[in-house]
Amino acid sequence: MWITDVIDESYRVAWGDLCHLKSNLLEVLLTGTVGPLLYLLAFGYGIGGSMGGGEEYVAFILPGILALATLSATFSTVSMRTLIQRLFYMSFDELLLCPIHVSAVVVGKTLAGMARVVISCSIILLVGCLIVPDASVNVQTVLILLLSAFMFSLLGFLAGIAVRRTNTLSLISAVVIVPMTFLCGTLFDVSALPSWAASVINVLPLTHVSELVRSAMGSGTVPSDSLAVVFVYTALFFGLCWYLIRTNRC
Amino acid sequence: MTSDCSNDGMGKDSIVEVSDLTVRFGDFTAVDGVSFNVRRGEVFAFLGPNGAGKTTTIRTITTIQRATSGRVVIDGFDIDTHRLEARRRIGIAQQHISLDNELTVAQNIRHHAMLHKIPRSEYRTRVLPIASGLGLDPYMSRRVSDLSGGWKRRAAITCAILHEPSVLFLDEPTAGLDTQSRHILWDLVRDLNAGGTTVFLTTHYMDEAEALCDRVAIISSGRISAIGTVDELRESVGPYTVEVTEGSKVAVTRHPTLEDARAYAESLGDVLCNVRLTNLEDVFLDISGGKCLVDHRCHR
Repeated sequence: MWITDVIDESYRVAWGDLCHLKSNLLEVLLTGTVGPLLYLLAFGYGIGGSMGGGEEYVAFILPGILALATLSATFSTVSMRTLIQRLFYMSFDELLLCPIHVSAVVVGKTLAGMARVVISCSIILLVGCLIVPDASVNVQTVLILLLSAFMFSLLGFLAGIAVRRTNTLSLISAVVIVPMTFLCGTLFDVSALPSWAASVINVLPLTHVSELVRSAMGSGTVPSDSLAVVFVYTALFFGLCWYLIRTNRC
Repeated sequence: MTSDCSNDGMGKDSIVEVSDLTVRFGDFTAVDGVSFNVRRGEVFAFLGPNGAGKTTTIRTITTIQRATSGRVVIDGFDIDTHRLEARRRIGIAQQHISLDNELTVAQNIRHHAMLHKIPRSEYRTRVLPIASGLGLDPYMSRRVSDLSGGWKRRAAITCAILHEPSVLFLDEPTAGLDTQSRHILWDLVRDLNAGGTTVFLTTHYMDEAEALCDRVAIISSGRISAIGTVDELRESVGPYTVEVTEGSKVAVTRHPTLEDARAYAESLGDVLCNVRLTNLEDVFLDISGGKCLVDHRCHR
């Protein structure tokens, strides 16, 4: 069976990255959680509190911070590790030499990123639930966070196999990732933006992840249009990764 | 003559068949219409200067690099249409050690075993003894980044052979190694070959090719200049060499027979000269164009 082969092979591909993650757990905990927790405290209590709505604002941004964590815990680490394995260790070549499906390589290289998200989001949720006792986490929220982690891990993997220099990766981070961090409805409602800006922001995937997590944690509903956008991005990133590997263009 | 590639292995029991392989990077042609076969059970070498196209050819044959055109068949499987089947039969230790520096030697070996779907029981009974045999036991729990070049190379070769490939590709396997490590690797290549593994290596060490290989292909500027056994290649340029020392320069001529070489040496009169067997380095210099000091009267 193709699908069982791919699932089995994905774990085999991921094993090395999971070993690396396990032996660097403290670093993973710090890099994946300090940033989002700082946002939660600085923006929630600092800015929110100074405007007189501290706890309400913290409750508003908690889903946004969780959405943000799925990006920050995956993109830079997956992309950088892939790039290093490809250009400096050359160990990425070994994956291309093994008798495994291309789909398994793509999925496998995202699993460590998803594991980081599970760790980061668990800690953020723990802290968030202490700060916002009313915060509810349901199955929909967990599934959306996992889907988002998969999507952004794919984006990181795509960047890692597509670029030729570490500088390009820094450029992508500065031009795409950082703006997404602040503008995609994580810290404020996108509807507050001018319509032209909102229409641009609405194209970006993190906007829809924020929307999905906020709805799931609030009303328990899952907006189908945002879900469709996330699926389209996931399929697009997966397809591009698959194509680059299958045609030896990485 | 072998320089027309008439002894390229075609028609024999071939395990690697390469037909009209071309690899271009933009305007630069790294491999230019190369055709040759590697026979099952032999040790075959690509000999060539830096930048000749050896590594690109190996990377293309082993499916890492995309070919611009041409066809490669590994053990009966076309690498374009039966990629996974071809890969199951390939092992490669690349010129640059392609291990994950941030993992330990044991983790790298285990990961390779997992990628090749080697069961855990077989990993313990067959794979770990390979690592032990290469002396890796004391280094298994150390990170690859902490090892010297020789130990990294041994770990890489362990990873390359643990799935018992039909054909093992070794790209500059002894580059940067000390003499002792080189000889250990030579012994390993001989042992693997004796066990039935076909070995395809690239090198620019003439003594290595001469010591290990059944057949040698000389590649220059992306093209195969000559292919054959060491004796055949030697025969093609003249199996006997006369070296004439004139000041700081040494002029050489090749000769078809020992008598011819001696007669030529005697005809030179009272000059310092040496008659000897032509070696692979002589062949290589002649064929790859590095023969600026070779007398054009040489017998071919």
